[in-house]
Amino acid sequence: MIKQLTARFGGPMTLVVLLLLWFWLIVLVLLPQLIMIDYSFKPNLIPDQYGGPQDVYTLGNYQTLINNDIHRTIFFKTIWSSILVTTLTLMVSYPVAYFLAQLATAKQVMLIALLLVIPYWINEILRTFSWYLILSFQGPLNALLLGLGFIDRPIRFLSGDGGVLIGMVYAYILFMVFPLYNAIESLDNNQVRAARNLGAGLIRIHWRIVIPHAKPGIATGCIMVFMLAAGSYAVPALLGSPGSRWFTQIIYNWFFEGGDWNMGAAYAFVLLILCIGFIATVMKVFRIGLGDIGK
Amino acid sequence: MDSRVHLDNISMKFGDFTAVHPLDLDIQSGEFFSFLGPSGCGKTTLLNIVSGFLQPTTGAVNIGNEPMAAVPANKRPTSMIFQNLALFPLMSVAENIEFGLEVRGVSKAERRKVSDRLLELVDLPGSGQYRIDDLSGGQKQRVAIARALAVEPKVLLLDEPLSALDLKLRQHMRTELKEIQRRTEITFIYITHDQGEALTMSDRVAVMSAGRLQQVDTPVELYRRPKTAFVAEFVGENNRLPGKVVSVEGEQVVVDCGDAGQFRGQVGARLEPGQPCGLYVRPESLQAATDQDVNRMDVSVEAVNFEGAHLTLETRHPHLSSMIHVQADQRAYGGQVEQGASLSLGFQVGETIVLPEDRPAEAAHD
Repeated sequence: MIKQLTARFGGPMTLVVLLLLWFWLIVLVLLPQLIMIDYSFKPNLIPDQYGGPQDVYTLGNYQTLINNDIHRTIFFKTIWSSILVTTLTLMVSYPVAYFLAQLATAKQVMLIALLLVIPYWINEILRTFSWYLILSFQGPLNALLLGLGFIDRPIRFLSGDGGVLIGMVYAYILFMVFPLYNAIESLDNNQVRAARNLGAGLIRIHWRIVIPHAKPGIATGCIMVFMLAAGSYAVPALLGSPGSRWFTQIIYNWFFEGGDWNMGAAYAFVLLILCIGFIATVMKVFRIGLGDIGK
Repeated sequence: MDSRVHLDNISMKFGDFTAVHPLDLDIQSGEFFSFLGPSGCGKTTLLNIVSGFLQPTTGAVNIGNEPMAAVPANKRPTSMIFQNLALFPLMSVAENIEFGLEVRGVSKAERRKVSDRLLELVDLPGSGQYRIDDLSGGQKQRVAIARALAVEPKVLLLDEPLSALDLKLRQHMRTELKEIQRRTEITFIYITHDQGEALTMSDRVAVMSAGRLQQVDTPVELYRRPKTAFVAEFVGENNRLPGKVVSVEGEQVVVDCGDAGQFRGQVGARLEPGQPCGLYVRPESLQAATDQDVNRMDVSVEAVNFEGAHLTLETRHPHLSSMIHVQADQRAYGGQVEQGASLSLGFQVGETIVLPEDRPAEAAHD
């Protein structure tokens, strides 16, 4: 590969490209992570104590997480809720992606893609705030449902997990729709017709033909949405209630309110391990490799 | 099993475009029936109407005397072989074949029996566990046939299934398809733009052009007695001499081809004196003239092509704009035809068909 690069760009240029690449990988990606891991195994010390007898590696920070019932509960709840968000996003996105990829005319694809993208021109915080307004107790959604007679009392959307789930599904739908769209679009429509011709109904066509074909796209979308959901801060902070705290909020609190970077680093590292574990599991379940996700 | 297909006043419009003009057609039980025509003639549309993928604008489809109007595509007794085969690449060969049975809730053991039997039928015994991508083009073709037959359709619909194969394999598969059709006694409806396929395999062929049926006949009749100029020119090689009808005498007609002279031929369709017409002679019907020949013309040879069993000559008549193609036995003309030579050709009245000119207005209309 180096030979090819040298042949194309010449020696000095190749050196610059490689140096930049290694700089990016080591200084910007690996090193911060390693420092964070290093932090997470040390107690929180004041500068005077650096190098002193207390400056030793310890599992104390991790023990705090394991022993703290509330933090542990929130940790597992975050995993569970992120899985829920991922599932809901998949269920909402699949029909849209299928429609776009197989049924819609070029004009419809343009229009719907535009409508899907436009909200992303606005900052995530602002988008989430608008959901806060929509879902509030005396907000437009309750007014609409009351007006149409579906409910006789306004619903407290924001008191449980409902607000967070809606907000996240909305925030991450694009990250699911586009991988799905890409995967489904490459399906030969004759496959669907052949299955139908052999007698298959709608559900079986999707279960046996479309979904297996779209598997890499589904996996990619699920991984992205899960990671974003598990690592989300703005949505639970704005749309969540005290009962629906997110693990990221606890990490935030350790760093910026508790001033305990070491504890925060330990918590964040656990979340990172969890996300890597999730990716590995999804890839195993869907029997796909890293290459498939890259597509 | 009654697997007659009856098309009653079927037509299809897409917006302003008429893909199929109203037509009636009866396809017999167990018949190998082909639709032949250039691309865009409406043949694929007709196939999609029979399979239920398209709802016709007017008319009704009956299969085995049962109306199909209310029967959706996945409930029709038809099975389709797609142009690109559309095998399921994520399933094994056996799973592909068994898919239709799986849909119908047939048990796994029973399904396996059927796929084993069908793999035998299409000459691929024991290859059920292979992946589709491991198969060659011809093998995929056979799997597609087996998959379509597994659901025991009354009618098998074939959408140019051989077009992706190379010539040798294509010819082999023709024989094979015909053989499978004979053994299964299923009605085959075959779509193709390749007249060789249509003529060799079919019991009857419907020639289509611009959404209309031109002629429905046996291959031999289509070749010998085309009823429209389109069929005469589309099916097989033909020489066309443009002219005007001089007189019609029963089955025979005298045509004036201007400076090229007058010729006599068979009436192929309704003709009136004075009408512009085409006089059609097959290359193999042109032979060295004898004294008995009524129709004669003198041509000069411009090119001689050796094709093994026979020669094809490209010749020119001084008063005709297009070349006259002659197919000759190797030994004819003493085996001594050369470029520039003059030949006197004769042709039988019985092998000369006269047809009215295609009205250009009709073609432009569609």
